[in-house]
Amino acid sequence: MSQENPTLDFNANDQMIVAASHLIRDDDAAYVGVGLPMFAALLAKRTHAPNCTIVIENGITRTEEFELPDGTDTLGTQFHADKLAGLSYVSYLGQAGFINLGFIGAGQIDRYGNVNDTVIGDYHNPVHRFPGSGGANDVMSFCERTCVVLNQTKRRFPEKVDFITCPGYFDGKPGQREELGIRPGTGPVAVVTDLGCYEFENGEMVLKTIHTACGVTLDKVKAETGWDLKISPDLKDTPPPTAEELRILRETAAPLLARHRRTDLERR
Amino acid sequence: MSKIMTMQEAISKYVKSGILLFIGGMQHGEPFAAVHEIVRQRIDHLEIVSCLTISTNLLISEGRVDKFYTGYYHQDIKRSYWLSRAKSIGKYPVFQEYSHFGIAQALLAGQMGISYIPVRSQVGSDMLKYNPNIKVIDDPFTGGKIGAVKAIVPDVGILHVQRCDENGNAQRWGSLGVDAEGINASRTVIITTEKIVDSGVIRRDPNRTIIPGYRVAAIVEQPWGAYPMHLAGCYLGDWPAFLAPLGSEDVYNNFMEKFVYGVKNWDEFLKLRREVKGEEYFKGLEVKLEPSEPIYSGWEVKA
Repeated sequence: MSQENPTLDFNANDQMIVAASHLIRDDDAAYVGVGLPMFAALLAKRTHAPNCTIVIENGITRTEEFELPDGTDTLGTQFHADKLAGLSYVSYLGQAGFINLGFIGAGQIDRYGNVNDTVIGDYHNPVHRFPGSGGANDVMSFCERTCVVLNQTKRRFPEKVDFITCPGYFDGKPGQREELGIRPGTGPVAVVTDLGCYEFENGEMVLKTIHTACGVTLDKVKAETGWDLKISPDLKDTPPPTAEELRILRETAAPLLARHRRTDLERR
Repeated sequence: MSKIMTMQEAISKYVKSGILLFIGGMQHGEPFAAVHEIVRQRIDHLEIVSCLTISTNLLISEGRVDKFYTGYYHQDIKRSYWLSRAKSIGKYPVFQEYSHFGIAQALLAGQMGISYIPVRSQVGSDMLKYNPNIKVIDDPFTGGKIGAVKAIVPDVGILHVQRCDENGNAQRWGSLGVDAEGINASRTVIITTEKIVDSGVIRRDPNRTIIPGYRVAAIVEQPWGAYPMHLAGCYLGDWPAFLAPLGSEDVYNNFMEKFVYGVKNWDEFLKLRREVKGEEYFKGLEVKLEPSEPIYSGWEVKA
């Protein structure tokens, strides 16, 4: 990190959000989950992808800017939308093939891109419970490209998830999604964590870049991965955030952080 | 006979122990006042279908829910006071888990009067191992496979709306979540509304009607009926206020005694909130309104 230029101070979380934002293109219609995915989408909209369409599961389709929300549905995300409808409408857009990018968080993701948002351990006697699919299963079933954003630990990166909430490529053999009736040409294409960026080759996750600017090493990535990770032959450093991206990132986060500070004061 | 009644009357008349109940709002404009009334009347053994609702937490923590049809709920008992309380009193609900689209389509099949609906999500997910209401079937037309979600037909549905006339023609706008499917699938419909308006208001903009009056059994006029959730064109939400019952067993019990069981109705609850939060509190949640251009209708030749 840049010691001579303090404005370029950033951490792995910032790097993750910026790297994720780079996956959004200007002509994308992106179905975006709340939290880190929404943060990354807003950053993209305020930098390189001002024209992208953002689809939110409550039935919101919008192109105008909005404030980073702290819930899935807020008046701020509804206000000045291009279309307001229900959850079914936006899901039909996806099911019929009209949403090319899906952007979701995850509890766990495995070697073949299967996402677990449900349970670690036995379903009826869990070691840990996640909240469930929400819209994530729908997004990963419908969108051409699904990108998954999550913090990486060995526990959240197992070789095989205990429970498939959102199917990736199962055990990696081709054609299994289509056989079950999932739309052809869909599935996870990228994973962004606080350690690195991954893509899928032949259904398997492959490490493409490492967040070296935040001090992440290949050993660290391997230590936080639950299988013998495939590494791209042209492994690169993740491009660090630019000063402009960091400035916009801070601006985007500020109102939400202020609201969270108030929450603790006002809870009574 | 007028369908307009008080919240107490509507809930005691139609929400009975053991029914399958749809709760509208997907965080947007939930029928919070109605949920408090259900809690207050101690109606139990409910089966609930809803999507992402916050208000239903109170029914879970008070042990009134036997079964919960859901796409997303914080089931980590260490992080959910609502659920840990339910467990501590032996009322941990059964969760029937879908994706959000799965819930929406189950309700749509209910609205359509068919037994199931084909879907292209959820297939390949382990949810199918634990939810007998989602299956993979042979597609009769393509020869391939397709998902199928069984219809959900709630006995009663409750939806909060911005406006409704005395016949029950209810208009709701903003994001709609699963409101249209859920309320139209429900056999008996309770509408709670910010205000009751003249039928002319409805008829000059009938595209906005989410369910026609003849399908509605009860109408309750209840301003701020979705508080502390937000409602388009009316008020902002107050997330911290919803978290007010949380912190410890004492905080929870005090909140329930004072604000839910200790009041007669929602207006008393609002008055108490104002006393706690200050006179200007609700003013601070009012939205700066932006009108849309009117739409026009008519049928006679212009003179």
